[in-house]
Amino acid sequence: MSVAPLGVTALDVVEVKGNSMTLSMGPQHPSTHGVLQVVLEVSGEIVEKAEMEIGYLHTGIEKSAENLFWTQAGTVIERMDYLSPLGNAMAYVLAVEQLLGVTDRIPERAQSIRVLLCELTRIASHCVWLGTGGIDLGAISTFFYAFDIREDILDLIEQSGGARMHPNYLRIGGINGDLPDGFLARLDALIEKFPSRMRELRALLQNNPILRDRMIDVGIVGSKAAIEWGLTGPALRASGVGYDVRKAFPYSGYQKYSFDVPIRDDGDAYARFLVRLDEMDEAMRIVSQVRKELDLPGPIMIDDPKIAQPPKETIALSMEALIHHFKIVSESFRVPPGDVYQAIESPRGELGYYIVSNGDNRPYRVRTRPPSLYNLQSLKLLAPGNLIADLVVMIGSLDPVFGEVDR
Amino acid sequence: MPSSQAPSIAGTALDPTAVRPEIADAEIFRIERGELRSKLTALRAEGCSMLLDIGAVDYLAREPRFDVVYHLLALPQKPAGVAEVGVPRRVRVLVGVPTQHPQLASIVDLWPNADWAEREIYDLYGIVFEGHPSLRRIQMPHDWEGHPLRKDYPLRGPAREATPRPAFALKSNVPAGAPPDGKVAAALQKQIARARGQAGPGEKGP
Repeated sequence: MSVAPLGVTALDVVEVKGNSMTLSMGPQHPSTHGVLQVVLEVSGEIVEKAEMEIGYLHTGIEKSAENLFWTQAGTVIERMDYLSPLGNAMAYVLAVEQLLGVTDRIPERAQSIRVLLCELTRIASHCVWLGTGGIDLGAISTFFYAFDIREDILDLIEQSGGARMHPNYLRIGGINGDLPDGFLARLDALIEKFPSRMRELRALLQNNPILRDRMIDVGIVGSKAAIEWGLTGPALRASGVGYDVRKAFPYSGYQKYSFDVPIRDDGDAYARFLVRLDEMDEAMRIVSQVRKELDLPGPIMIDDPKIAQPPKETIALSMEALIHHFKIVSESFRVPPGDVYQAIESPRGELGYYIVSNGDNRPYRVRTRPPSLYNLQSLKLLAPGNLIADLVVMIGSLDPVFGEVDR
Repeated sequence: MPSSQAPSIAGTALDPTAVRPEIADAEIFRIERGELRSKLTALRAEGCSMLLDIGAVDYLAREPRFDVVYHLLALPQKPAGVAEVGVPRRVRVLVGVPTQHPQLASIVDLWPNADWAEREIYDLYGIVFEGHPSLRRIQMPHDWEGHPLRKDYPLRGPAREATPRPAFALKSNVPAGAPPDGKVAAALQKQIARARGQAGPGEKGP
């Protein structure tokens, strides 16, 4: 029997054996959210085995970072998880600050602004997941509603750091410049607008019968399997395990804010969907608490000329400032030898950095613990026994970002 | 050979993990290669239920040359709310791996998510995990030669490192008053001609 040509070009038939068939899905398939190839063994429409090929977006960021100054490495590290660049920067600067031993000396205002931007990025990242996840399921209008919120947040990030996606705003020792005029007014507008937008999104999606049919009981992970497979973030909390790095190992002053960690017990795609929606609300709760702290001015960079670049306006007036500026720009600073593991709660889960310094002015090793990699790997467990069409839902519900998976 | 783009300016520590400052980020164990599986099995039995990550570091001048680093997290096996998870415990296990026979026991049967992590270390460092079900490259193409994250692997790759970098005519390395040549000169001539309102020899119309 000859194989009938398939209409969908992204699904290529590799092999046919009796009733089972080996298909290649991707790496250009739109619902893989990047470049992921899934080699599927199917019997009829049921997936028997899924094997993933990653590495299509491997750019050697860890190697690049080893060859850059401590101050420069942040720029490439932000590009790993491109939907949450400030999360990457946060984990990196916290780790380096631990090695430098200056964690306690970071000004409070800088810490608050870091938390503010990380939580805004979490909302923006979940907006992309919601929008693209909606498209996977045929709900195209979701994309526009979600991206409207995301645009507002990217505008805020652009205003604060100078770039929409990779602002390199979080620096070792603090942040790069204070918030500009007009930022807080726009933030207030967003805080005011957000709840009604979330109500709209929930009304559109949460009880939508098509969405519920597609997501409920699809891709179930039990709590034991979730722990064994190293799931973190919303994927773990949708399986009933309440592990959140912000609560378990608070950093950057998260212990000051009151927020809940949404947990669901079902472990299916719908539970992960609800956990992320709830997380967006909780993130905005943190944002509005941080907002109240921002009216009072204060320092935003550590008072240490060896680490912090002097303010631009002092360079022309002070010889010392000129020298410090020159030293930091031309050869960075040296970090005491040692190794450290620092994790944060990124929108996808525990994002950790294992950083080794040998006392030089460049990181000796920057190892990322990418949450997406481990979340995606669990597809090997999720996929068997499900329909091919549900695979799209499962990949979407795990929310992988390939800049981070492949690095 | 370290990359030419990374000149070192400082005297460096051979084994940074031995001289680390007091940072309470995890409980640290340094163990021998042979006791890896028994140690990890014991830790797992003690409650370190999640394998967060496996990383590797190449200390080129040290013997054993490589460190493979296991990050574990102690979480309850049952479903648990935020309060019950309490303060989980982080555990870090470091294992030295020598240059001569860079081999280590695989732990895929203990934690299934070690699969990709071990493949990545094999791919980027060339450390062989014995007992891994299908140890092959994961990030680099399957026919790639060498292990890119090793310290003696050049930053731009062996082929490109051998070719000289193009000498760009930067403002700073052209002496003042030197007449430009080549493409720069041609572009300048065009620009001057355009500024004067004359069409250059190769240009059509205004």
